[in-house]
Amino acid sequence: MERGWWWKAALYGLVTVLAVLYLVPTVVPEEKQPRFIKNFFQKKIQLGLDLQGGLHLVYNVNVGKAVSDKVDRLSSDVEDRLRKDRGVTDVNVVRADKPEESHYDIILTFKNPADQAKVDDALLKEYRKSLDLISRDPAKGEVRLRLDPDQIDEVRDYALRQGIETIRNRVDKLGVAEPTIIKKGTDIIVELPGLKPADFERIKNIIGRTAQLEFKIVDDGPTEYMKKVAGAVPKRDAKAALGPTDIDVGTEAWNEEDNNKQHEDVYLRSKSREALQKFFAGLTGELAIPPDHEIGYEEMGGRGENGEQTPDKYWRTYYLHKRAALTGEYLTNADQTWDQSTGRPEVAYEFDHQGAAISERLTGDNIGRKMAVILDDRIKTAPVIKSRIGSRGRITLGSYGDPFALQEEAKEIVAVLRSGALPAPLTKSFETQVGPTMGKDSIEKAKLAMGIGAAAVIIFMLLYYRVSGLIAILAMLLNMLYMMAILAGFEASLTLPGIAGLVLTVGMAVDANIIIYERIREELRLGKSVRTAVDAGFQRAFWTVFDAHVTNFVAGVVLYSYGSGPIRGFAVTLLVGIITNLFTSYWVSHWMFDAVVGRRGAAKPTLSI
Amino acid sequence: MATQNQDQKFFEVIKPHSNYEFIGRTKYWIGLSIVLTILSAVMIFLNAYVIKSRGHFLNWGVDFRGGSEILVEFAHDVDVQKIREALAESGFHDADVVKYGDPAKWNYLVRVGAVSVLSEKQTKAIRESMAKVGDASLRRLDWTEGGDKLYLRYDKPLEPSVIQNSLKALGVSANQVQGFGRADDNTYEVTLVGLDTEIRRHLETKLGAGAVAAIPKVDSVGAKAGNQLKVDGAKSLIYAILLIMVYIAFRFDLRYGPGTVVALLHDAVITIGAFAITYKEFSLTTVAAVLTIIGFSMNDTVVVFDRIRENAARYRDRRFDRVVNQSINETLSRTILTSATVFFVTLAMNIWGVGVIRDFAFAMNVGVIVGTYSSIFIASPILIWLNEKFTANQRKQQRQSRRPQREDDDPEGL
Repeated sequence: MERGWWWKAALYGLVTVLAVLYLVPTVVPEEKQPRFIKNFFQKKIQLGLDLQGGLHLVYNVNVGKAVSDKVDRLSSDVEDRLRKDRGVTDVNVVRADKPEESHYDIILTFKNPADQAKVDDALLKEYRKSLDLISRDPAKGEVRLRLDPDQIDEVRDYALRQGIETIRNRVDKLGVAEPTIIKKGTDIIVELPGLKPADFERIKNIIGRTAQLEFKIVDDGPTEYMKKVAGAVPKRDAKAALGPTDIDVGTEAWNEEDNNKQHEDVYLRSKSREALQKFFAGLTGELAIPPDHEIGYEEMGGRGENGEQTPDKYWRTYYLHKRAALTGEYLTNADQTWDQSTGRPEVAYEFDHQGAAISERLTGDNIGRKMAVILDDRIKTAPVIKSRIGSRGRITLGSYGDPFALQEEAKEIVAVLRSGALPAPLTKSFETQVGPTMGKDSIEKAKLAMGIGAAAVIIFMLLYYRVSGLIAILAMLLNMLYMMAILAGFEASLTLPGIAGLVLTVGMAVDANIIIYERIREELRLGKSVRTAVDAGFQRAFWTVFDAHVTNFVAGVVLYSYGSGPIRGFAVTLLVGIITNLFTSYWVSHWMFDAVVGRRGAAKPTLSI
Repeated sequence: MATQNQDQKFFEVIKPHSNYEFIGRTKYWIGLSIVLTILSAVMIFLNAYVIKSRGHFLNWGVDFRGGSEILVEFAHDVDVQKIREALAESGFHDADVVKYGDPAKWNYLVRVGAVSVLSEKQTKAIRESMAKVGDASLRRLDWTEGGDKLYLRYDKPLEPSVIQNSLKALGVSANQVQGFGRADDNTYEVTLVGLDTEIRRHLETKLGAGAVAAIPKVDSVGAKAGNQLKVDGAKSLIYAILLIMVYIAFRFDLRYGPGTVVALLHDAVITIGAFAITYKEFSLTTVAAVLTIIGFSMNDTVVVFDRIRENAARYRDRRFDRVVNQSINETLSRTILTSATVFFVTLAMNIWGVGVIRDFAFAMNVGVIVGTYSSIFIASPILIWLNEKFTANQRKQQRQSRRPQREDDDPEGL
């Protein structure tokens, strides 16, 4: 053998060993894997939804509605301003949208045309970020305002990001093994493999809802309902650790800053929210939750006294007034800032004009009480109201030491407030549910079809090309190995169309070999020696094989960019297969031929081809 | 050839130096292709306008048509007619029920045009019956066709559970009702129950509890999304063809481009035509198959063209159409072998495969035959024709350019 051959042998050997290593996690069960595999090669091929069973959902974020809602709010805010601050008595506010041209207009028509001057620079300046003055007709008393283009983009962007965030949060809570959430245009694609069909309906309901941010007042008032409830909680040893479904009673007390009036709140806590919900659901008679109240839940104890993360999280209850007078839609802004006197991180937020009015009333009536900020049925924070809050408010955080932990918490709250400020409804545009039995059935049938197809190809190649056919088969098997290894490296999921892609790659591998072998035969027929014929055959066939691969690759790329879900799986296997196939069916099989044909000069007189 | 090594033996399907006449009979082949193409186009229109039982250009899969496809596994044998009646009584008049898969199981594929449990008629009922709930009156009802959500706006606040119960009385099942937007908007978001859950409920009430053993698969696509997919699908075919044309023009020369493109279009049309004639379901997977066919057909054409280019350079003295015919003959055994293997592999997938794989394989079966045929009988004749035009043009230009050259010698030239 020539020296170059050995170099190639080393290279191909190395590639093959690597490929095998990459495939180990996919093939060998976890407990049997050697340690170094676990350390370096954890990626594996996932079974796609159609094979494993699960839920594939595509939601469209209704950004148009989000933008339109935003203008709705702005228009009522402007109208409010004009009536209250500027003393305009009769103004007609009309909305005119042309979404296809990105025009979202507010048309103000004043009964008294002179009033149009009240839409003055001071007012416009206040809305300069969001509204542009388009036209003004003093004679008719008409003013036309338009949503700023930058604002449209911002709202859209916000709505999309919020949609994804919301879905992600909800999916995380579901505890699905390997969820995928991808954004594509204004679509959000959610894949939840391995779900039980019984859960489909429940999960779809959870994911599809529009996120709601609400502010509700915690009732620590005179009825002392919670004290009665606490009495009904089964007694337990106070020193014993809280079991997974145990319920415990706690009290929290604080003083009002101005008059030192004391507040006391009784709550229940448990490691399981379900246990608490079940407990309340079982209460009857005077213990049943009054119709104008409800119970809110907050996950607590994520941090210890110094703000460090602690492992024992639990849920605590709040006794809330049911009606949410304030909701996220009134918020215009939220930011993480610093307390000017203490330098601690805090959250600053702003309400719009209407929101400010409601907030003033609400907080004024409830100074000293807690206000719960609720997103998606979950209390995110419940600060004490220290004073009357108008358009601008601040939330100061816990008293523990670590400023970094505090800052993180503040940022989290900011994210919650911002996301609540703009609920964009999600519309489901695609849905695929696959039950687990369906998947198993498909795998069996696909295996059979693939097996028969591959067997037919192998038999044909052996009969037709004999020893060379064997080389082609070896190259094809290597191709399969490399392909699977790369797919494992990408952590790609294998779908039913993906299997079709695999089978097609077999077809392509065979094609490349046939092109080369027919060429070699032609060269042999011309009377060339085996060695020269093989070399010339490979050389002459190269561009043909290459062109054939490129054209298929082009089709694959288009398919990938067009397709969604399973079609993508097909495109990925096809693309990977085309690349590995060029390598194995050209270079690797050439190298194998070199071994069969032997050294230059001492080459065999005939070739089994 | 005399020099061949006597010990060297091959297993051959096509003997070397075969000289079948392909080019000489071009007009018959092109005629056949035109007939097939027209037949495909006619069939597509017949499906839509003449054959009443079909009614669409193609038997669009649920992904293009929009709607829902629900696979229902019954616990015992149920008459198809009974299922249809049960569904019609429940308001799904357009339900299409077919037996699916394993004959030993009682699996039926139920297709309905709806995506949502709510119909236009029901929203009207809601508008009328729920115009007044308590002392609150309905101001606005937002529902887009096929939406899984409904928005109701009242002039006074309402208890979500009250809304849920009122809807239930109208036969609309909701998973949840919650407040939406500003508190003083009094808008409520109603999340409707999934269609599969609703269909299962109806079937069980009509055919007896426990009649439905399982719902192994559900596919649903909003009508808007379906149309978008059709557009995207058509675009992707055009992009693929354009990109391939660019590549060919770059690798070969301009003469080779149009032939390949016409061949590709021919393959795409006839494959789609096969779906029109058999009225097999045309889905996303079929588009994937057509794209793959384009790739494969291209592959075939490239192999033949590569040889033509090589031979054209070698045999400059021969007539171009003879070179083409010889090249097709030389590559014939490769063409037949490759096509046959791919055909048999996909045939195996067609016979033993399931669902998506099966549809895919059917398209491939048709496409492989048409693709092989088109590279020989369509792409090559067009190449010859363009070559004649091109060389004729060149000669003309040469004649013309010779004359001005003489004039160039003339100092009088400006």
